[in-house]
Amino acid sequence: MKYISQIGNIALRELGILAKNRIYGFCMIVFPLLLVLFFTTMLDEGLPQDLPIGVVDQDNSATSRGLIRNLDAMQNSRVVYHFANITEARNAMQEGKVYGYLYIPEGTASKLLSGRQPKISYYYTMTCMTAGSMASKDLKTIGSLGSAAVGQATLSAKGATPGQIKAALQPITIDAHMIANPQGSYNYSLTTVFVPGILMLFMALLSAYAVGTEMKFDTGKEWLRMADNNIVVAILGKYLVHALVFLLVIFIYQYYIFGVLHFPRLGGVWSIVRLSLLQVAGGLGFGIFSFGLMPSLRMSMSISSLWSVLSISMCGSAFPVPGMDAPLQAMSWLFPLRHYWMIYQATVLNGFPVIDVWFHLVALVAFTLLPWFVLRKVKNAMLNYVYIP
Amino acid sequence: MSIFRKYKEHLTDVLYIWREELKQVIKDEGVLMFLVIVPLGYPLLYSWIYNNESLHETPVVVVDQSHSALSRQFINDCDASSDVHIAYYAEDLDEARSLVSRQLVRGIYFIPSDFATRVSRGEQGTISVYCDMSLMLAYKAVYQTAMVEAGRLGAGLNIKKSGNYTKREDAITAQPLAVDDVTMFNPSGGYGSCVLPAVLMLILQQAIALGIGMAAGTARERNRNGQLIPTDDPHYRGAYRIVWGKALCYGMIGAVAAAYLSMAVPCMFSFPQLANGWTLLAMLLPYTMASVFFGMTVSCLVRYRENVMLLMVFVSVPLLFLTGVSWPQSSIPGAWQGVSWIFPSTFGVRAFIRINSMGATVSQILPEIRILWIQAAIYLGMACLVYRHQFRLARKYAIK
Repeated sequence: MKYISQIGNIALRELGILAKNRIYGFCMIVFPLLLVLFFTTMLDEGLPQDLPIGVVDQDNSATSRGLIRNLDAMQNSRVVYHFANITEARNAMQEGKVYGYLYIPEGTASKLLSGRQPKISYYYTMTCMTAGSMASKDLKTIGSLGSAAVGQATLSAKGATPGQIKAALQPITIDAHMIANPQGSYNYSLTTVFVPGILMLFMALLSAYAVGTEMKFDTGKEWLRMADNNIVVAILGKYLVHALVFLLVIFIYQYYIFGVLHFPRLGGVWSIVRLSLLQVAGGLGFGIFSFGLMPSLRMSMSISSLWSVLSISMCGSAFPVPGMDAPLQAMSWLFPLRHYWMIYQATVLNGFPVIDVWFHLVALVAFTLLPWFVLRKVKNAMLNYVYIP
Repeated sequence: MSIFRKYKEHLTDVLYIWREELKQVIKDEGVLMFLVIVPLGYPLLYSWIYNNESLHETPVVVVDQSHSALSRQFINDCDASSDVHIAYYAEDLDEARSLVSRQLVRGIYFIPSDFATRVSRGEQGTISVYCDMSLMLAYKAVYQTAMVEAGRLGAGLNIKKSGNYTKREDAITAQPLAVDDVTMFNPSGGYGSCVLPAVLMLILQQAIALGIGMAAGTARERNRNGQLIPTDDPHYRGAYRIVWGKALCYGMIGAVAAAYLSMAVPCMFSFPQLANGWTLLAMLLPYTMASVFFGMTVSCLVRYRENVMLLMVFVSVPLLFLTGVSWPQSSIPGAWQGVSWIFPSTFGVRAFIRINSMGATVSQILPEIRILWIQAAIYLGMACLVYRHQFRLARKYAIK
């Protein structure tokens, strides 16, 4: 009972600090919500649409114009330039005006009709991979449509039915099922890792900041006195408020993406709640631990910010962890975001049972308990250290 | 006082402040960390992460209910491709699904029992591909490999049926219109070669801004009145000389970092490097200057040293997005395009990618270079303004 009232008192004190120092309001509520808006509006299209593409049409035939019209009609491409030659097209690419171009040499139509296999080329830049792969997909489709058109004309002249023509042109088809993201939207896959990633960055930074400022403004002794010098009670009371505020923000974010924007998810509400609890606990635990390792406001914040920024790459949502070198694969276990993301994609996105990713769950619990190792150091820092700017 | 002496005095002050600021940087481990260790170490770490460039042998499970020569050929072809590895065979979809759930595979190829029969009858045979969408790169590997192999297998069947006599006829049957697929400027389509140049330039701006901000925070905390500019030192007697003195110090560090980031790092990890030295200089000079003045302007806005860290670290991911390297520039909504004009990194990254990865010349990145110079000028003006304000504040407190 004594402990509970102590925790309550410390929590109230912390609430006062959060209300007074504007940094907390900004970093816990304003910035994260701005970030949610940033990513969801930025990636609203889901897939990049109407990418600028150029054409070099030296054939100037009905066939070549048909190919170009088809390309323009594709969802992801828009033909914005007609170049006279390849050099002009390459220049435009280097100037960043187009992501790719289609080259149709002279004589394409006549060779196609006489069965002499003309060759068209498409060039695209992979310096922006999203744009490059989208452009290449459309350009590839144009190529195969060109081939198919010839086959179709020949077959229908021979009297084949539409069904027969379809089977003859494409004897084997692929029926793709894109589970839990049927449009292949980048919004669904990027927003759901960057927003939680930066939230965890704020958790780590602010929890180091909160305990560091106690030292900086020399209020640590007062804080510990309220807990009768029991560091566990002191930390629980202090971070209870942080955890609740972060949970609130996370739930607003989850409600916005799943409730308002209807991001796909196969997991239930409980899977989201469980993940959010783990995320907050792990994120705060990591921040307190980094302060305990180096009880200096500046160093602990620097370390946890560098680590958290790195975790956005190391969580393996963009470039997968199995594709990295072995030492890095091992290191990925040291990043809380990695575990968050693994649990997210398995339980929330795909709706698989949590038991299949239990080791990541255990890892997040371990991050929560990490401060245990540095409790004495934190206490010592509060009681004995003097802040040096 | 003659004009000559006045200028000499001014210059002496600038040089003095340059030296003082440099001493501060070396003494303060927080500043040192962001100005030296981050530009030095971070790029190496990122390069290492992305060094393997692309994903090969993505594990896939096959549910083959057709058990035919044709289905086995499809499986073999997929397994032989560079991107997919057939890791498991499952009896039914439920079993396959549990393998996906345990993260052992990234996709399922399901071949129905009537697959070969339908193809032999001259109908379309269908193969279902189930992709785990949590990893875009893995999804593309799983899906595209199936598409390519199905197309190739189909073309082979058509050739068999066509009754051609020569190889040339076969080739024309398979593909009446030949296409040449040319990837430019990052031919392997590697992830690292694509993202890393952008990250390098972003690190430059962020490190400079963070370093300047931290140093300014320290200066404030050391000062008795919590002011940025010391009033007890006679050399700090004008806002402009302070701006120039500091700019020389951070510009010097920035220049070294810029050279290292733009030339040494891509070379160490053999990322694409088509840059011409003079072009690089034409772009890095305004970019470094814009970053320094940008950092100085931001540093006046923050009261405590930690605040600049909270601000700059969090914007780095959105900034990367605004450059148009991970999300195409043409698809960035107009409002965010407008916001992106505030930051030097937007144009610095775009220009650097074109120079470094695409071999662009100065004339091809002229718009970006122009904007960088304009940004440098505007931020210089703003830095002078905010420093003059700080200077007056400091004076006011000193008189009190």
